[in-house]
Order: sequence, then C-alpha cells, then structure tokens
Amino acid sequence: MDPVVLSKPGKVRLELLPPLALYVHIPWCVRKCPYCDFNSHERSGELPEREYVGKLINDLEDLLPAVWGRRIVSVFIGGGTPSLFSPGSIETLLSGVRARLPLEPGAEITLEANPGTVEAARFAGFRQAGVNRISVGVQSLDDRMLAALGRIHGADEARRAVAVALESFDNVNLDLMYGLPGQTLAMARSDIEEAVRLGAAHVSAYQLTIEPNTVFWSKPPQLPQHDESADMQLAAEEVLCAAGYGHYETSAFARPGHRCRHNLNYWEFGDYVGIGAGAHGKLSFPGRITRHSRIKQPREYLLSKNSLAEDREVPANEIAFEFMLNALRLVEGFPMTLFAERTGLPPATVEAKLAKAENQGLIERDWKRVRPTERGRHFLNELLQIFLEGAPARSSAAEASS
Amino acid sequence: MPQSRIRNFSIIAHIDHGKSTLADRFIQMCGGLPEREMAEQVLDTMDLERERGITIKAQTAALEYRARDGETYLLNLIDTPGHVDFSYEVSRSLAACEGAVLVVDASQGVEAQTVANCYTAIEQGVEVIPVLNKIDLPSADPEKAIQEIEDVIGIDAHDAIRASAKTGEKVPDILEAVISQVPAPRGDPSGRLKALIIDSWFDNYVGVVMLVRVMEGTLRPKDRIRLMSSGAAYICDQVGVFTPKAKQKDRLSAGEVGYVTAGIKELRAAKVGDTLTHDDKPAASPLPGFKEIKPQVFAGLYPVEASEYEALRDALEKLHLNDASFHYEPETSQALGFGFRCGFLGLLHMDIVQERLEREYGMHLITTAPSVVYEVLLRDGSIEQVSNPARLPDPALIEEIREPVIATKIFVPQEYVGPVITLCTNKRGIQTNMHYSARHVVISYDLPLNEVVLDFFDRLKSMTRGYGSLDYEFKQYRAADMVRLDILVNGERVDALSSMVHRETAQLRGRDLVTRLRGLIPRQMFDVAVQAAIGGHIIARENVKALRKNVLAKCYGGDVTRKRKLLEKQKAGKKRMKQVGSVEIPQEAFLAVLQRSDS
Repeated sequence: MDPVVLSKPGKVRLELLPPLALYVHIPWCVRKCPYCDFNSHERSGELPEREYVGKLINDLEDLLPAVWGRRIVSVFIGGGTPSLFSPGSIETLLSGVRARLPLEPGAEITLEANPGTVEAARFAGFRQAGVNRISVGVQSLDDRMLAALGRIHGADEARRAVAVALESFDNVNLDLMYGLPGQTLAMARSDIEEAVRLGAAHVSAYQLTIEPNTVFWSKPPQLPQHDESADMQLAAEEVLCAAGYGHYETSAFARPGHRCRHNLNYWEFGDYVGIGAGAHGKLSFPGRITRHSRIKQPREYLLSKNSLAEDREVPANEIAFEFMLNALRLVEGFPMTLFAERTGLPPATVEAKLAKAENQGLIERDWKRVRPTERGRHFLNELLQIFLEGAPARSSAAEASS
Repeated sequence: MPQSRIRNFSIIAHIDHGKSTLADRFIQMCGGLPEREMAEQVLDTMDLERERGITIKAQTAALEYRARDGETYLLNLIDTPGHVDFSYEVSRSLAACEGAVLVVDASQGVEAQTVANCYTAIEQGVEVIPVLNKIDLPSADPEKAIQEIEDVIGIDAHDAIRASAKTGEKVPDILEAVISQVPAPRGDPSGRLKALIIDSWFDNYVGVVMLVRVMEGTLRPKDRIRLMSSGAAYICDQVGVFTPKAKQKDRLSAGEVGYVTAGIKELRAAKVGDTLTHDDKPAASPLPGFKEIKPQVFAGLYPVEASEYEALRDALEKLHLNDASFHYEPETSQALGFGFRCGFLGLLHMDIVQERLEREYGMHLITTAPSVVYEVLLRDGSIEQVSNPARLPDPALIEEIREPVIATKIFVPQEYVGPVITLCTNKRGIQTNMHYSARHVVISYDLPLNEVVLDFFDRLKSMTRGYGSLDYEFKQYRAADMVRLDILVNGERVDALSSMVHRETAQLRGRDLVTRLRGLIPRQMFDVAVQAAIGGHIIARENVKALRKNVLAKCYGGDVTRKRKLLEKQKAGKKRMKQVGSVEIPQEAFLAVLQRSDS
C-alpha cells in the first residue's frame, strides 16, 4: 500500500480514525457445503500451513505503512475452516501479528471451527495459542437437517464439540441456520432451545438463503415458505430473549458482556484490514475511505508477490449507503455523531433520506440516536434501498472482482 | 402496350395457402427480378409479414409475359392484404382488377377469409379463376376442395387448375388462364382522368407514394392533380411502374397500374380508395366505393419507463407516416402515467403496430386491454363516443349504452361445431345462419365486438386445432346492458384496469380478475386489498397478504458490493412496477384484463 495515500486530499473529512480490526482468512474446507458462497476451497492433501502463515504475515507487513501506530481491537480468523490449521500454526500467526501491530489489552480473538471430532481435540491448543473466542459452525442440531445441508458432521458430534469448546472457552458462539429444506417451525425452535441449553454465550441465527455460484443455486432445494421462515425467526428471537440473550443485530444474540466485538466493529463502520486469500478490508484516512481485497484462489494467492486484487477509494456518494448497510442492522441503531465520525460526511447528507425512512415508519429518531423500528428491522432491505438513491451502481470492472 | 394486351389481376388466398409463393413464381417466370435479387417472397417486404406469412400492405408488380400465342402481355399483379382487419383495402385492390386468381390449398379447402374476399370480387364483377395449390402434397384432395369451392363460393370449379407454386407445376397454365379469361381493361386514355388509389405509403425521399389504377384518361408528370375526397391539389412529380423494382415512365394511361408521387407530405392526404383527377379538367364524379375507415379497437400504449415517453411519441409518429389507418393521441393514466390512446382497425392490426414498436423502435410497452367504441346516449339526448372505459360518463347521466355488433362467418370442420356454438353463446352471440358444405360448416353469428376483441380468435383457433377461421364485418350499434368494471387497489381505482363488461357476466369477471391480480401483485410491506367494483358497489375482493420481512440474512463487513447489488436488484424490480398509491403493481397485472378463465 502506498504511504502517500495518507496525505492525499479527499472528498471526506475524518477527524478521528475508527477502531481497527484484523480479519484473517483461511480458505480451505474438508468439503464445500452446497449453500456456501464464501471463498472456500476443498482441501486436497496436506495443507501448506507454514507457507500460508508466512504469506499472511507478508500481507500484514505490506499493510503496515497504512495503519502504522494504530492498535488492533479484535482479530477474527475465519474461513473456510480455520480449525483445520494446527494450534501451532495459529500461534505462529498470532505472535507474528503481535510482533508487528499492538493489540488492545484483552482484544477479542475469534477462531471459526468446525464441530468435528478432530477439530475439538485442538480447542485447548487454540486457547493456548491466544484465541479467546470460538465460533462453532453447528448450523443445526438435527441430523436430518445437517444431511440436507451436506454437512460432514452429525448432531452428536456437534454437541460434544460444543462441550469440549466450553472446557477451554467461556466465550463460545454457535452459528445456526433456519429455513432449512424440510424444516418445520418446531424443528427450528428446538435447535435454538438446544443451543441455549448447550451454554453458548453467543448465537448467530440466520436464515438460509440461496446464493449464486452454489450447488443449491443450480439445484434449488425445497425451502419453507416465506411465512414459515418468518415464524422461525420470531421463534428464535423469542426463545433467545427469554433465555437472557440480547438481540443486538439482525441475526446476532449475546449473553450480557458477550457481544462480538469484531462484528460490532463492522456494523459500526469501523476499520479492518484483511489478510489471506480473498480477504476484504476497509481503511479510513483523514480524507478518504478505501476498500481492499485479495486474490481468492489459494494457489494463485500463495504464488503472488503482492496479493492485493483490489484497492480502491469508496466514492463519496456511496459512503453513506455503506454506513447504513451496516449500522442499521444494529437493533439499537447508532448515534448521529457516529455517522459523522465514521463517514466524514455532514449529517445533512442523509437528512432527507432519514426523514423519508422515518415517514415510512422504518426508523425512529431522537436528538441523539437513529434506531430502526421493528418494521424497519423486518423490512431492512426496503429501509436500505432508501439510501441507495443517488448512489449509482459502480462500474462492472469493480464488480468483477467482488 | 395496347389495352388489349394488359391484364390486371390479384390473388385471393387464405393465410398460408401459398399466395406469396405463387406471386414469386410469376415474377420469376416473367423475369421481373434477376435470380440473385429474388429473395423469397418478394412481395411481402416487412419482416413481420414474412414471419407471420401475411401481407399487410398491398404491393404490385408489372410483369411482361410472353404467352403461348406468341404475344407479349403486360400482367399487373396487384397484391391484396390477407387478413380480416383489412377488408376495405382488399375491396379497393379488387376494384382495380378485372380478374382474380382464387388460390385454395388442395388439402385444407376453403377458409372464411377466402370466401369473404371472393364474394367481394364477384360483387365487383371481377373474373375469378379457381386454382388448387399444393397439389404436390400427399394430403391434397382436389375433388373435395373443388366440391367445396362450388358449394360455399358458388362458382364453377370443375376445371380448376391443379398447381403447385412450390414446384412450379402448372404455374404457366395459370398465367395463360389469366390472359384468356380475364378481360382486358377498358377506359378511354383521352378521357377525363380517374385514377383509383389502391395503396399509399410514405417514402423518406419522395414523400407519399400512391399506387394507382388509372380507370380513365392519362396521367403525366407535371400534371396538376386533385384528390377528389379533399379537393387538395398537387403537382404530379413522377409516375412509373413496379417490376417489382420501381421504373419511371412518361405516363400512365387508362387500364394501367403504377405509382405516382406528388410531393405529398402526409399519408393521411392520400387515402386508399380516393380518386385522383386533373385539377383543371376534373372528372364529373369520383370512383365509387370510397370510405373513410375508422379504427374499431382502442388500447392505451404506455412506455414502461416514463422517460421513454418522448421516444414512444417519435416512434408512433414515424409508424403513422406509413400507416394512416392507425390513430393515436396523448392520454394520461393515473396508474401508468403519460402514454397514448391508439386506435386500430382490428386486433391483428393492433398486434402488428405493437410488435413493430417493440421490434423496430426498441420500445418497451405496457398495453391496456383493448376496448371497442361505445355509443353512449346521455339523458340530455346527446350521444358520446367512448373508446376508453375510464372515460365513461357518470352512470347517472347515461340513458343507454350501445355496443358495436359484428356479423361473423365462422368456418369450422364439422367435428368442432358443438364447442364453437358454445363459445359463441357464451360470448352473447346470436346465431343467424348455419350452412354445411363438403368439409366445413359455415356458422353465422352476430357477436358483440367487445366479446371478440379479447380472446375470441385465440379460443376459436385452439378449440378447432387451428382449422377454424373467421371473417367479420361491422353490422350495427345495439343497446346492451353494459357496465364499467373497476378495479380498486387499497381503495384507489386503477384506471388502466377498468373494463366494460355485460352486467350478467360482471360478477364472474370481477371475481376472476381479482383472483388473478392477487396472484400477480407481489406481497409488500403491508396488506393490499384488491377489489372489483361496479359504480360504488364492491362485487369481489381479495387480499394480498403483507410480507413478514425482507432482510439480508448475513452481513459481515467483507463483500459490500454483492450486498449492494442485491439491494439494487430488488429496487430495480420495484422500479419496473407501477406505483398506485403506495402499492407496487407489476406490468403483468395490466395484462390480466386481457385474459379470461370463464366460458
């Protein structure tokens, strides 16, 4: 990254730089799931762990001039399946990070794990390596649903993995999906109830959506009807809230003190650097906001000298939309001061659109905060579309790299 | 060429019975076009016509034919449009001929159109030469076809020429028959000029081109000519013939067919059927049979994107240059915004205009349900013509509504008579006649045009496996208990969805329509009530239940572009819909009025 960008003038004016997080992408899986559109690739043979970690550190070093002096508030190691890496590799990675950038004391460090037997055996090792939060991709606790999703683990295996995780971590997230092929409301509810019983500190419950470039897209399964899925979401909210979890974002629920710091930083339009194959990042400078992403194909990524695939300035007329896309997911909304601080734009930029959203009953405002109403949360897409106005689609060249 | 060696004739045939192929054959045989310019079916110039196998604009070819008697003859082949919407044009083409070749598909037999056109020819004293075409097909049954020509049309057909336009078999015999049976034209070349306008079209370079048959007198360039219906005078610029390529000549004399240009800017000024004469020595009276043709079917055409309004107006203007029979005027709909009310000769005509707008001009259109013209007698004794249901006067002021009734002749193979009668009865038809022939039954019905414009023709075709054919002509205006069926979306009347229906079918139709609309209007953030109403009275209601949510499931920093694209797509989808109040209505909903599930 060119250090000159720091001093270049731009269209926005940021008085303060936002908190900075670090995202690490590990792109391999044992098997690609039919619904997954993330940058994940089936493993073939031994993983080049050492080489890959070395490359991750390279990425970070390339970024250093752009973030020099800033502290990292959280680290998220996602994938793919990062738990395929050995605790030793994770330790090498994390010490490599610490040696180059200061971490906030007590920074949240999350690792995504598959609930398989092999991975569970490594959980203690990950804790030793410095990971302090583990996110288990359970998806469901019903063998029929797991089979329908093409998962390689069973429900019992998942239960054991969660138990093992809890031996080393007090901060365990379970990823759950609802609206699955053949799922009934009762089944969805019982998944959520069991997640609570298992003792997760955090639950992410999201509806299965069929994304392009997935097996499900080309061979769509029979999914529950719209109303049923809506009922499932309500049931999830009801069960989790009754069990003492706070619903703080569209799909995220946390016991007190266990909100995901890293994801909150996304939603509050904070900064993050992305390292690893296909990783995305966002960085703010006094006069501009930029986004970068890296080469997606692991092999190509490893061979590259510079792994950046894209590094662009976010056009000023798209910044407000991007802020809203994230911040309006938060149940508590955001203070207007945060908008100005994070976007570098005067609040007047969005006043007309906020007024329109308020008129349609999608948000409520007081002198300080903007908060989506219940209607706004349920019709978040309609709410966000208001902020699309006046921000034309970007060129296809930029889209091609997305 | 002396008159004695001129023959003016046209071809009468049903769609697909081989008229164009035969015409091509004639042109080829007479060397009208070198081989390489002989595109298939040269007389049909427009793509659309070629695709549909129909001829809309009459064109012509002056062919020099060396006959078996050793003499060279000038054969003027005058093309005729082949569809029910254009019966007036057909009658004018026939008026320019002394003879007509009746082409009947030897395996299909006589169809409604052929009969109607043939009757027109006989009425006008045109010599009809029966020809059986497609004789090379294994399914050909010439005896039966001959029997049918004699039964239905009532002309002697026992020595009809058995030909194949495709293989060329017996085609020279047809031309020989034209020479021996069709009388040579008469008319005094030194008499006062009377030339019949057979067709006219607009050319970007020379303005309006008129295709004429000179009945009396002689027309030369630089002559001062007058159009007798309007009295407008012009200086004749060019005269010539089509071979079928245009070839200038120094005159057109009585008996000849050719083109005339006179710097006329507006197609409307040169109406088909009008008479051309000299301005200084005019004919005493015009040729008979001239009619102002009026559109029978009206529909609203709206651009999908409001920003395309100007482009649509330009496209309509250009189309109108070449088709004076279609009318348009600006119209505003609350639901659809700015658009045009367009009048057409019939449904096919409407289809063609619509398709040309979409294909040649790249327009994206929403078309409202076609409507006929009602005569509305008001209590104060005045009469209003209403072509748009949304503009119907207040029912309290209406004494009586009169609807156009058409006399139809339907030709069907015997096995389909039952269903066709049921169809006609359901469409409020009154049977006036029924006639059995060798292959077909001819059923005559008086039908309200309103019932025919929606889907009658498609239904007839599908229930007779394509064998049914139909011919109609306007009969009269008849009082009927018509009501306007309104559609309300969340309490607001959607003007573009209003339609005129008979009171007896209103209930059924209303229920059918709201059910269909419920299926077409997507669920939105709130409940949408869809109601059918007559006057203030609600007769049917359906509810489009509100969506429960519309949320992107997952969003972790990362890939903003994809999320953004998804939202943009959702938003673009809405933009393609029409906003009525706060409800978004997709275009398909406006087409729902076009379909019926009843009868």
